[in-house]
Amino acid sequence: MDERDLIARVRAGDGAAERALYDTHVDRVYRLAYRLAGDDDLARDFTQETFIRAFERLDSFRGESALSTWLHAIATSVVLNGLRKVKRFRGREADLEAADAVPGGGGRRAAEPDLKERLHRAIDGLPEKYRMVFVMHDVEGYTHEEIGVALGVETGTSKAQLSRARAKLREALADFAGEWVS
Amino acid sequence: MTDNDRLNERLEQAAREYHRPPATPREEMWARIAAERAARREAPRVIELRPWLRWGLAAAAVLVVGVAIGRVTAPPSSDRAANVAQATAASSDLAYRVVAAQYLSRTEALLTGFRAEARGGRPDAQFAGQARDLLLTTRLMLDSPVAKSQRMRVLLEDLEVLLAQIATLPTSGNKEDVQSITQGLEQRSVLLRLRTTVPPGTQGAL
Repeated sequence: MDERDLIARVRAGDGAAERALYDTHVDRVYRLAYRLAGDDDLARDFTQETFIRAFERLDSFRGESALSTWLHAIATSVVLNGLRKVKRFRGREADLEAADAVPGGGGRRAAEPDLKERLHRAIDGLPEKYRMVFVMHDVEGYTHEEIGVALGVETGTSKAQLSRARAKLREALADFAGEWVS
Repeated sequence: MTDNDRLNERLEQAAREYHRPPATPREEMWARIAAERAARREAPRVIELRPWLRWGLAAAAVLVVGVAIGRVTAPPSSDRAANVAQATAASSDLAYRVVAAQYLSRTEALLTGFRAEARGGRPDAQFAGQARDLLLTTRLMLDSPVAKSQRMRVLLEDLEVLLAQIATLPTSGNKEDVQSITQGLEQRSVLLRLRTTVPPGTQGAL
Protein backbone atom coordinates (compact mmCIF):
# COMPACT_ATOMS: atom_id res chain seq x y z
CA MET A 1 0.00 0.00 0.00
CA ASP A 2 1.47 3.37 -0.90
CA GLU A 3 1.55 6.30 1.49
CA ARG A 4 -1.33 8.18 -0.13
CA ASP A 5 -3.66 5.19 0.14
CA LEU A 6 -2.62 4.66 3.71
CA ILE A 7 -3.34 8.28 4.62
CA ALA A 8 -6.71 8.17 2.84
CA ARG A 9 -7.67 5.07 4.78
CA VAL A 10 -6.61 6.58 8.10
CA ARG A 11 -8.64 9.68 7.30
CA ALA A 12 -11.63 7.45 6.59
CA GLY A 13 -11.30 5.97 10.09
CA ASP A 14 -9.70 2.64 9.17
CA GLY A 15 -8.16 1.27 12.39
CA ALA A 16 -5.92 -1.21 10.57
CA ALA A 17 -4.47 1.63 8.51
CA GLU A 18 -3.80 3.62 11.68
CA ARG A 19 -1.89 0.66 13.03
CA ALA A 20 0.03 0.25 9.76
CA LEU A 21 1.02 3.92 9.82
CA TYR A 22 2.09 3.58 13.44
CA ASP A 23 4.13 0.44 12.72
CA THR A 24 5.91 2.15 9.84
CA HIS A 25 7.10 5.13 11.85
CA VAL A 26 7.07 4.27 15.53
CA ASP A 27 10.65 2.98 15.79
CA ARG A 28 12.20 6.15 14.44
CA VAL A 29 9.98 8.42 16.53
CA TYR A 30 10.62 6.44 19.72
CA ARG A 31 14.36 6.30 19.08
CA LEU A 32 14.54 10.04 18.62
CA ALA A 33 12.39 10.68 21.70
CA TYR A 34 14.56 8.34 23.76
CA ARG A 35 17.82 9.83 22.53
CA LEU A 36 16.63 13.31 23.45
CA ALA A 37 14.89 12.46 26.72
CA GLY A 38 17.26 9.76 27.97
CA ASP A 39 14.33 8.28 29.85
CA ASP A 40 12.03 5.46 28.84
CA ASP A 41 8.88 6.85 30.48
CA LEU A 42 9.30 10.25 28.88
CA ALA A 43 10.16 8.70 25.51
CA ARG A 44 6.98 6.60 25.64
CA ASP A 45 4.90 9.64 26.62
CA PHE A 46 6.33 11.73 23.81
CA THR A 47 5.89 8.97 21.23
CA GLN A 48 2.28 8.33 22.24
CA GLU A 49 1.49 12.02 22.22
CA THR A 50 3.09 12.41 18.79
CA PHE A 51 0.88 9.74 17.24
CA ILE A 52 -2.29 10.93 18.92
CA ARG A 53 -1.67 14.46 17.65
CA ALA A 54 -0.70 13.17 14.21
CA PHE A 55 -3.89 11.14 13.83
CA GLU A 56 -5.95 14.11 14.94
CA ARG A 57 -4.23 16.49 12.56
CA LEU A 58 -3.92 14.19 9.57
CA ASP A 59 -6.65 16.13 7.77
CA SER A 60 -4.33 19.12 7.72
CA PHE A 61 -1.50 17.14 6.08
CA ARG A 62 -1.28 18.47 2.52
CA GLY A 63 1.34 16.07 1.22
CA GLU A 64 3.84 18.82 0.47
CA SER A 65 6.50 16.82 2.30
CA ALA A 66 6.84 13.13 3.10
CA LEU A 67 4.57 11.90 5.87
CA SER A 68 7.63 10.93 7.94
CA THR A 69 8.95 14.49 7.71
CA TRP A 70 5.60 15.90 8.83
CA LEU A 71 5.40 13.34 11.63
CA HIS A 72 8.88 14.23 12.84
CA ALA A 73 7.97 17.91 12.92
CA ILE A 74 5.20 16.97 15.37
CA ALA A 75 7.56 14.70 17.31
CA THR A 76 10.28 17.33 17.72
CA SER A 77 7.71 19.90 18.84
CA VAL A 78 6.24 17.47 21.38
CA VAL A 79 9.68 16.47 22.69
CA LEU A 80 10.99 20.04 22.93
CA ASN A 81 7.90 21.26 24.74
CA GLY A 82 7.85 18.25 27.03
CA LEU A 83 11.52 18.59 27.92
CA ARG A 84 11.12 22.32 28.58
CA LYS A 85 8.36 21.59 31.08
CA VAL A 86 10.46 18.96 32.82
CA LYS A 87 13.47 21.28 32.82
CA ARG A 88 11.48 24.17 34.26
CA PHE A 89 10.23 21.94 37.02
CA ARG A 90 13.67 20.57 37.80
CA GLY A 91 15.30 23.97 37.39
CA ARG A 92 17.46 23.87 40.47
CA GLU A 93 18.51 20.30 39.93
CA ALA A 94 19.40 21.01 36.27
CA ASP A 95 21.53 23.99 37.27
CA LEU A 96 23.51 21.82 39.63
CA GLU A 97 24.05 19.18 36.95
CA ALA A 98 25.13 21.78 34.41
CA ALA A 99 27.63 23.22 36.86
CA ASP A 100 28.97 19.73 37.34
CA ALA A 101 29.39 19.27 33.59
CA VAL A 102 31.46 22.40 32.98
CA PRO A 103 34.05 21.68 30.29
CA GLY A 104 37.71 21.37 31.16
CA GLY A 105 38.20 20.73 34.85
CA GLY A 106 41.68 19.29 34.41
CA GLY A 107 42.31 19.34 38.14
CA ARG A 108 39.59 16.75 38.70
CA ARG A 109 40.82 14.58 35.90
CA ALA A 110 41.68 11.59 38.04
CA ALA A 111 38.17 11.50 39.45
CA GLU A 112 36.50 11.86 36.03
CA PRO A 113 34.38 9.04 34.63
CA ASP A 114 35.42 7.51 31.33
CA LEU A 115 35.55 9.53 28.15
CA LYS A 116 32.26 8.24 26.84
CA GLU A 117 30.44 9.39 29.92
CA ARG A 118 32.22 12.70 29.76
CA LEU A 119 31.08 13.13 26.16
CA HIS A 120 27.52 12.25 27.07
CA ARG A 121 27.51 14.85 29.80
CA ALA A 122 28.92 17.38 27.36
CA ILE A 123 26.10 16.56 24.92
CA ASP A 124 23.58 17.01 27.74
CA GLY A 125 25.12 20.40 28.42
CA LEU A 126 24.75 21.67 24.84
CA PRO A 127 22.20 24.42 24.19
CA GLU A 128 18.85 22.85 23.37
CA LYS A 129 18.84 23.51 19.62
CA TYR A 130 22.46 22.44 19.12
CA ARG A 131 21.77 19.23 21.01
CA MET A 132 18.66 18.57 18.94
CA VAL A 133 20.53 18.98 15.65
CA PHE A 134 23.55 17.01 16.87
CA VAL A 135 21.44 14.08 18.06
CA MET A 136 19.27 14.06 14.96
CA HIS A 137 22.19 14.24 12.52
CA ASP A 138 25.20 12.59 14.13
CA VAL A 139 23.42 10.09 16.35
CA GLU A 140 20.22 9.18 14.49
CA GLY A 141 21.32 9.91 10.93
CA TYR A 142 18.71 12.46 9.84
CA THR A 143 19.60 14.63 6.85
CA HIS A 144 19.87 18.40 7.18
CA GLU A 145 16.78 18.68 4.96
CA GLU A 146 14.77 16.51 7.36
CA ILE A 147 16.07 18.43 10.36
CA GLY A 148 15.28 21.75 8.70
CA VAL A 149 11.65 20.78 8.12
CA ALA A 150 11.23 19.19 11.54
CA LEU A 151 12.63 22.18 13.41
CA GLY A 152 11.26 24.82 11.06
CA VAL A 153 14.70 26.20 10.15
CA GLU A 154 16.72 26.55 6.93
CA THR A 155 19.04 23.72 5.95
CA GLY A 156 21.98 26.10 6.30
CA THR A 157 20.95 26.88 9.87
CA SER A 158 20.89 23.18 10.68
CA LYS A 159 24.42 22.78 9.24
CA ALA A 160 25.68 25.81 11.15
CA GLN A 161 24.17 24.56 14.42
CA LEU A 162 25.71 21.13 13.92
CA SER A 163 29.09 22.67 13.29
CA ARG A 164 28.81 24.77 16.47
CA ALA A 165 27.65 21.76 18.46
CA ARG A 166 30.65 19.72 17.32
CA ALA A 167 32.99 22.60 18.09
CA LYS A 168 31.56 22.91 21.59
CA LEU A 169 31.97 19.19 22.17
CA ARG A 170 35.56 19.23 20.93
CA GLU A 171 36.23 22.17 23.21
CA ALA A 172 34.64 20.37 26.16
CA LEU A 173 36.81 17.32 25.53
CA ALA A 174 40.00 19.10 24.51
CA ASP A 175 41.96 17.87 27.51
CA PHE A 176 41.28 14.29 26.43
CA ALA A 177 42.26 14.77 22.79
CA GLY A 178 45.71 13.24 23.20
CA GLU A 179 44.31 10.05 24.72
CA TRP A 180 41.55 9.73 22.17
CA VAL A 181 43.73 9.89 19.09
CA SER A 182 46.54 7.76 20.44
CA MET B 1 44.40 10.76 8.94
CA THR B 2 45.04 13.82 11.11
CA ASP B 3 44.59 13.97 14.88
CA ASN B 4 41.50 16.08 14.29
CA ASP B 5 39.98 13.42 12.00
CA ARG B 6 40.71 10.74 14.57
CA LEU B 7 39.12 12.82 17.28
CA ASN B 8 36.03 13.37 15.13
CA GLU B 9 35.81 9.66 14.43
CA ARG B 10 36.04 8.80 18.12
CA LEU B 11 33.49 11.48 18.86
CA GLU B 12 31.03 9.97 16.39
CA GLN B 13 31.56 6.46 17.74
CA ALA B 14 30.98 7.57 21.32
CA ALA B 15 28.00 9.70 20.34
CA ARG B 16 26.20 6.66 18.94
CA GLU B 17 26.09 5.31 22.48
CA TYR B 18 24.39 8.47 23.74
CA HIS B 19 21.07 7.51 25.37
CA ARG B 20 21.01 4.27 23.42
CA PRO B 21 17.32 3.33 23.12
CA PRO B 22 16.02 -0.08 24.14
CA ALA B 23 13.70 -2.07 21.85
CA THR B 24 10.59 -0.05 20.97
CA PRO B 25 7.70 -1.01 23.28
CA ARG B 26 5.31 -1.09 20.32
CA GLU B 27 2.39 -2.98 21.75
CA GLU B 28 2.27 -1.16 25.08
CA MET B 29 2.37 2.24 23.43
CA TRP B 30 -0.19 1.24 20.82
CA ALA B 31 -2.60 0.01 23.51
CA ARG B 32 -2.49 3.44 25.15
CA ILE B 33 -2.80 5.33 21.90
CA ALA B 34 -5.78 3.21 20.85
CA ALA B 35 -7.47 3.66 24.25
CA GLU B 36 -6.96 7.42 24.17
CA ARG B 37 -8.21 7.63 20.57
CA ALA B 38 -11.32 5.66 21.50
CA ALA B 39 -11.99 7.95 24.48
CA ARG B 40 -11.62 10.99 22.25
CA ARG B 41 -14.08 9.66 19.71
CA GLU B 42 -16.65 9.30 22.47
CA ALA B 43 -16.14 12.75 23.99
CA PRO B 44 -15.04 15.94 22.26
CA ARG B 45 -12.06 17.86 23.61
CA VAL B 46 -12.76 20.74 25.91
CA ILE B 47 -9.68 22.79 25.31
CA GLU B 48 -8.72 23.34 21.69
CA LEU B 49 -6.21 26.16 21.90
CA ARG B 50 -4.13 25.68 18.75
CA PRO B 51 -1.27 28.17 18.28
CA TRP B 52 -3.14 30.42 15.83
CA LEU B 53 -6.25 30.19 17.99
CA ARG B 54 -4.50 31.40 21.12
CA TRP B 55 -3.88 34.86 19.69
CA GLY B 56 -7.37 34.92 18.22
CA LEU B 57 -8.86 34.09 21.59
CA ALA B 58 -6.71 36.65 23.35
CA ALA B 59 -7.83 39.32 20.87
CA ALA B 60 -11.45 38.20 21.24
CA ALA B 61 -11.15 38.39 25.02
CA VAL B 62 -9.88 41.97 24.83
CA LEU B 63 -12.70 42.83 22.45
CA VAL B 64 -15.33 41.19 24.64
CA VAL B 65 -14.08 42.97 27.74
CA GLY B 66 -13.98 46.28 25.83
CA VAL B 67 -17.51 45.83 24.54
CA ALA B 68 -18.74 44.85 28.00
CA ILE B 69 -17.16 47.92 29.58
CA GLY B 70 -18.65 50.15 26.87
CA ARG B 71 -22.09 48.73 27.38
CA VAL B 72 -21.95 48.90 31.12
CA THR B 73 -20.91 52.55 31.02
CA ALA B 74 -23.61 53.45 28.44
CA PRO B 75 -27.19 54.44 29.54
CA PRO B 76 -29.12 51.25 30.47
CA SER B 77 -31.84 49.54 28.44
CA SER B 78 -33.21 45.98 28.49
CA ASP B 79 -31.42 45.01 25.21
CA ARG B 80 -28.17 46.38 26.46
CA ALA B 81 -28.50 44.46 29.70
CA ALA B 82 -28.95 41.22 27.75
CA ASN B 83 -25.92 41.99 25.58
CA VAL B 84 -23.81 42.72 28.62
CA ALA B 85 -24.85 39.39 30.13
CA GLN B 86 -23.83 37.56 26.92
CA ALA B 87 -20.51 39.35 26.70
CA THR B 88 -19.77 38.64 30.34
CA ALA B 89 -20.59 34.95 29.89
CA ALA B 90 -18.27 34.67 26.85
CA SER B 91 -15.49 36.45 28.71
CA SER B 92 -15.95 34.21 31.72
CA ASP B 93 -15.84 31.06 29.56
CA LEU B 94 -12.57 32.19 27.98
CA ALA B 95 -11.09 32.96 31.38
CA TYR B 96 -11.93 29.45 32.59
CA ARG B 97 -10.29 27.93 29.52
CA VAL B 98 -7.13 29.93 30.02
CA VAL B 99 -6.92 29.05 33.70
CA ALA B 100 -7.62 25.38 32.90
CA ALA B 101 -4.80 25.26 30.32
CA GLN B 102 -2.33 26.78 32.79
CA TYR B 103 -3.47 24.47 35.56
CA LEU B 104 -3.18 21.34 33.41
CA SER B 105 0.27 22.35 32.24
CA ARG B 106 1.52 22.88 35.81
CA THR B 107 0.00 19.59 36.92
CA GLU B 108 1.64 17.74 34.04
CA ALA B 109 5.04 19.17 35.00
CA LEU B 110 4.57 18.18 38.63
CA LEU B 111 3.48 14.63 37.86
CA THR B 112 6.29 14.14 35.33
CA GLY B 113 8.84 15.32 37.89
CA PHE B 114 7.28 13.20 40.62
CA ARG B 115 7.35 10.05 38.49
CA ALA B 116 11.02 10.60 37.61
CA GLU B 117 12.02 11.12 41.25
CA ALA B 118 9.87 8.26 42.48
CA ARG B 119 11.99 5.85 40.47
CA GLY B 120 15.15 7.08 42.13
CA GLY B 121 13.82 6.68 45.68
CA ARG B 122 11.75 8.96 47.85
CA PRO B 123 10.51 12.09 46.04
CA ASP B 124 11.42 15.52 47.40
CA ALA B 125 9.06 17.16 49.91
CA GLN B 126 8.60 20.11 47.54
CA PHE B 127 6.18 17.95 45.54
CA ALA B 128 3.79 17.82 48.49
CA GLY B 129 3.57 21.60 48.79
CA GLN B 130 2.98 22.06 45.07
CA ALA B 131 0.44 19.24 45.04
CA ARG B 132 -1.51 20.98 47.82
CA ASP B 133 -1.69 24.20 45.76
CA LEU B 134 -2.82 22.31 42.70
CA LEU B 135 -5.32 20.26 44.68
CA LEU B 136 -7.18 23.42 45.62
CA THR B 137 -7.27 24.50 41.97
CA THR B 138 -8.44 21.01 40.96
CA ARG B 139 -11.42 21.28 43.27
CA LEU B 140 -12.26 24.72 41.94
CA MET B 141 -12.02 23.35 38.40
CA LEU B 142 -14.38 20.51 39.28
CA ASP B 143 -16.99 23.10 40.27
CA SER B 144 -16.42 25.23 37.17
CA PRO B 145 -17.88 25.06 33.62
CA VAL B 146 -14.64 23.35 32.54
CA ALA B 147 -15.87 20.17 34.23
CA LYS B 148 -19.09 20.06 32.22
CA SER B 149 -17.42 17.68 29.79
CA GLN B 150 -17.49 14.10 31.04
CA ARG B 151 -13.98 13.47 29.78
CA MET B 152 -12.53 16.49 31.56
CA ARG B 153 -14.44 15.66 34.73
CA VAL B 154 -12.98 12.14 34.81
CA LEU B 155 -9.48 13.55 34.26
CA LEU B 156 -9.94 16.12 37.03
CA GLU B 157 -11.22 13.45 39.40
CA ASP B 158 -8.17 11.28 38.67
CA LEU B 159 -5.93 14.27 39.26
CA GLU B 160 -7.69 15.08 42.51
CA VAL B 161 -6.93 11.59 43.84
CA LEU B 162 -3.29 11.65 42.72
CA LEU B 163 -2.60 15.14 44.02
CA ALA B 164 -4.23 14.33 47.35
CA GLN B 165 -1.97 11.27 47.65
CA ILE B 166 1.14 13.30 46.83
CA ALA B 167 0.12 16.12 49.16
CA THR B 168 -0.02 13.71 52.12
CA LEU B 169 3.25 11.91 51.35
CA PRO B 170 5.59 13.67 53.81
CA THR B 171 3.62 12.42 56.82
CA SER B 172 2.51 9.00 55.64
CA GLY B 173 4.90 8.44 52.78
CA ASN B 174 6.80 5.22 52.28
CA LYS B 175 7.85 3.20 49.26
CA GLU B 176 4.46 1.52 48.97
CA ASP B 177 2.65 4.88 48.96
CA VAL B 178 4.93 6.21 46.25
CA GLN B 179 4.51 3.02 44.26
CA SER B 180 0.75 3.23 44.54
CA ILE B 181 0.79 6.76 43.14
CA THR B 182 3.02 5.89 40.20
CA GLN B 183 0.89 2.82 39.47
CA GLY B 184 -2.21 5.02 39.43
CA LEU B 185 -0.45 7.35 37.03
CA GLU B 186 0.44 4.52 34.66
CA GLN B 187 -2.72 2.45 34.85
CA ARG B 188 -5.01 5.39 34.15
CA SER B 189 -2.67 6.90 31.50
CA VAL B 190 -3.02 10.18 33.37
CA LEU B 191 0.05 11.86 31.88
CA LEU B 192 -0.88 10.93 28.34
CA ARG B 193 -4.40 12.31 28.86
CA LEU B 194 -2.97 15.48 30.35
CA ARG B 195 -0.43 16.00 27.59
CA THR B 196 -2.96 15.55 24.84
CA THR B 197 -5.48 17.83 26.50
CA VAL B 198 -3.08 20.76 26.63
CA PRO B 199 -1.66 21.62 23.17
CA PRO B 200 2.16 21.93 23.14
CA GLY B 201 3.37 25.41 24.00
CA THR B 202 0.04 26.60 25.33
CA GLN B 203 1.37 27.41 28.76
CA GLY B 204 4.02 29.65 27.33
CA ALA B 205 1.58 31.79 25.42
CA LEU B 206 -1.03 32.15 28.12
